[in-house]
Amino acid sequence: MSAFWALVRRDLRLAWREGGAISTTLGFYLVVVAILPLGLGPDLNLLARIAPGVLWVALLLSALLSVDRIFHNDHEDGALELLALGPLPLELIVVAKALAHWISTGIPLVLAAPVLALLLNLPAEAFGVLLLTMATGTPATSFLGALGAALTLGLRRGGLLLSLLILPLFVPVLIFGVSAINAVIIGPSPFLPSYLILAALTLATLALTPFAAAAALRLNLQ
Amino acid sequence: MTQTEGLFNRLANPTRFMSIAAAILPWLTGVTVILFAVGLYLTFFVAPPDYQQGETVKIMFIHVPAAWLAMMGYSLIAVSSIGSLIWRHPLADVSAKTAAPIGAVFTFLALVTGSLWGKPMWGTYWVWDARLTSVLVLLFLYLGLIALWQSIEEPSRAGRAAAILALVGFVNVPIIKFSVDWWNTLHQPASVARLDGPAIHSSILTPLLVMAAAFTCLFFVLHLKAMTTEILRRRVEALRMTQVARAAAE
Amino acid sequence: MTRKQRRGVLIGVCLAVLGVAVGLVLLALDDSIVFFYSPSDVAEKQIGPGQRFRLGGLVEEGTVKRGQGTFVEFAITDTAKSISVTYTGLLPDLFREGQGVITEGKLGSNGVFVADNVLAKHDENYMPPEVAESLKKQGVWRGNDKK
Repeated sequence: MSAFWALVRRDLRLAWREGGAISTTLGFYLVVVAILPLGLGPDLNLLARIAPGVLWVALLLSALLSVDRIFHNDHEDGALELLALGPLPLELIVVAKALAHWISTGIPLVLAAPVLALLLNLPAEAFGVLLLTMATGTPATSFLGALGAALTLGLRRGGLLLSLLILPLFVPVLIFGVSAINAVIIGPSPFLPSYLILAALTLATLALTPFAAAAALRLNLQ
Repeated sequence: MTQTEGLFNRLANPTRFMSIAAAILPWLTGVTVILFAVGLYLTFFVAPPDYQQGETVKIMFIHVPAAWLAMMGYSLIAVSSIGSLIWRHPLADVSAKTAAPIGAVFTFLALVTGSLWGKPMWGTYWVWDARLTSVLVLLFLYLGLIALWQSIEEPSRAGRAAAILALVGFVNVPIIKFSVDWWNTLHQPASVARLDGPAIHSSILTPLLVMAAAFTCLFFVLHLKAMTTEILRRRVEALRMTQVARAAAE
Repeated sequence: MTRKQRRGVLIGVCLAVLGVAVGLVLLALDDSIVFFYSPSDVAEKQIGPGQRFRLGGLVEEGTVKRGQGTFVEFAITDTAKSISVTYTGLLPDLFREGQGVITEGKLGSNGVFVADNVLAKHDENYMPPEVAESLKKQGVWRGNDKK
């Protein structure tokens, strides 16, 4: 297990020292959310009603921007092949790297969401549930993103292809994440079923994608 | 080697497959044409109007078979994907690759006809209920597979990458099927494939089943033809490569 | 641990996580997520005025009153409770008394549902009109919409 945590720590330290990637992702999140009211007009009631959806969609797009670097650098400099030869099974390498991505990018995005929610006039009672659903849903986006990154590793225009492959897989997370928040603000549907399904989606993603992503990595390492 | 394995291997040999496909295709094409002729005749001249929907019900004879084949096409891709991941068989790759565009077209057809049917009956072209949304996601999955095939040049690598994606996306197929039972949707529940027997009167069910058979045959005609074309394309590619290699050696 | 044992543990953990996920979904489906609410749901969940939701059920027999232009007033029932609905606009072909419909809008303060969209829901039964007639005569008609 020490090899696993060592890999997570290494990825986190790399993300921290590089720094640029995280701030770019956060900047993108801010710009997407800020640009929408300019297109929709300043009607605060309208903004409040669509805020959960806007915040979620923008978060997914921002996460998508950052996932292609999960394996990219390690693949370029050959570190990935060394890792694959090491004691850790490829599946756990995927888990470690996706986990590091979630900690370094997912959590900052989640923490930024309430600040951006102020811009969209999200009702006060929804802030807690906004944080809760996003914290629950974002691990799924990191793991699905890792799968997409593994599939498109080393391809030209890989980033664009990645979006096409992975955005449809984000749809369930988006639907249940938004409906859980809307349940609290607008009602009348109950909060718990949507939230439970969101949690189930994340767990199922955590359990299944490492195998698929590891299989895709094996293809690239041959 | 057991006898069944021997049979499997012989069928899976691309050359053998080509000759079998060449023998089957004309017959299958003929059957498809006849089924369509009968099906369309039944649709337009025999099938009665529905007690509620009147003549509009005829859209069903295209919509329902297209939707079935959209799901069957994806299932076929999933099965082929298992074949190409476990046995690494080139024919399974070819089957998965060529089924994707055909499945995508049937999905698109199901969405468009459903939308045209929805306007007069439901009063809207589109609603975001569970059935419609999950079928739209199916279309996106098909498009993703096609894009992945196009971006990776080496066929065997592309085949296995697409196979992994196809198997992940297969989760969507049961969701489409059961969406109308799990959630209350605007789309009505299943009429034909249900435990207590079809809820369609035989005078409407018969044309529907004939059309479904015609669509299924059409799918396989297109699929077999596309598979043989793809095999030939790969051979031409291989020949070209050896020519280039030879020219470089001289 | 050998590589093989490790793999076994990995797969075991993943199956356990999947099991929990399935459990959560089953728990969630108990209280199902809905596309529309029936009049009984509205009473039970005490959905107040001003909340936007979809109301679905059968158009109650004998309640459809057409007003000026395209204004129409009718009641939606699930046979236990019913709610009056007002709507201005074009109705789908299938709209008629006894038909399943789904409407979108808000409850007014007087308890009348003001719809801005009416969709007709049709059931999974298809048959020629003569068959429908004879089924009705024999009294084995299964009803339009069970919901």
